[in-house]
Amino acid sequence: MDLFCEITEDRWTCGLTDGPCQMAGLDLLVTDPAHGAVAQFFGVVRNHNEGLAAAAVDYDVHPELASKALAELCRDICAEYPVRLVIFHSRGLVQVGEASVVIAASSAHRKDALGAVSDAIDQLKVRVPIWKKEIGLDHEQRWLDGHSLRKD
Amino acid sequence: MITVSVQCLGIFRELGDHFDVDVESGSVLAIREAVSAHLIKQNRPDLDNVLRRSIFAEGDELLKDHIVIESSTVSLLPPVAGG
Repeated sequence: MDLFCEITEDRWTCGLTDGPCQMAGLDLLVTDPAHGAVAQFFGVVRNHNEGLAAAAVDYDVHPELASKALAELCRDICAEYPVRLVIFHSRGLVQVGEASVVIAASSAHRKDALGAVSDAIDQLKVRVPIWKKEIGLDHEQRWLDGHSLRKD
Repeated sequence: MITVSVQCLGIFRELGDHFDVDVESGSVLAIREAVSAHLIKQNRPDLDNVLRRSIFAEGDELLKDHIVIESSTVSLLPPVAGG
């Protein structure tokens, strides 16, 4: 992966990459001899959305804020679950079938790894400053709506 | 009067990578109102609805509306849609 940002602490790593995320070998980043469970989530660009055909998604990222939000997310997940965790997200063009986000977690038992991965993707979608511009088969482009970060 | 550079992200990139607004004070509320006026001037009232759900940031800090900025550059963050 062409990482342009990577942050690592004791039990987690997160990063941002130009182009698609690599899916193969992600589990190796969370291996631990004390852990008997590894869960992974790959968010893959699909060929349709809201009834429209899609060819790709172009991801816009605020690098400083997104890396900070990803790190806070990793800290929160690791505070809630006894896991090792990795999260990578794409910037720029990702074609249908390629991964835009990859998450892996390992834990002693399966419930923590599965819960960590599930919570991580749910919270990433509402906390991390990243935006999607969908590219149609006819090259028509449209920005997708999302979740407001406003709290006031 | 101060000039604030607004860095565009997400759907606001349809206005360009950035634009400038003149404001009486550096409060985020004043900047928000100036951006709203800019959207009307640019014939993009549709983005005013997005602006209401958007947040400003200075560096890597998200800003509430009562905050006064320290620099002359802010980022304009529409609702997020990662994943």
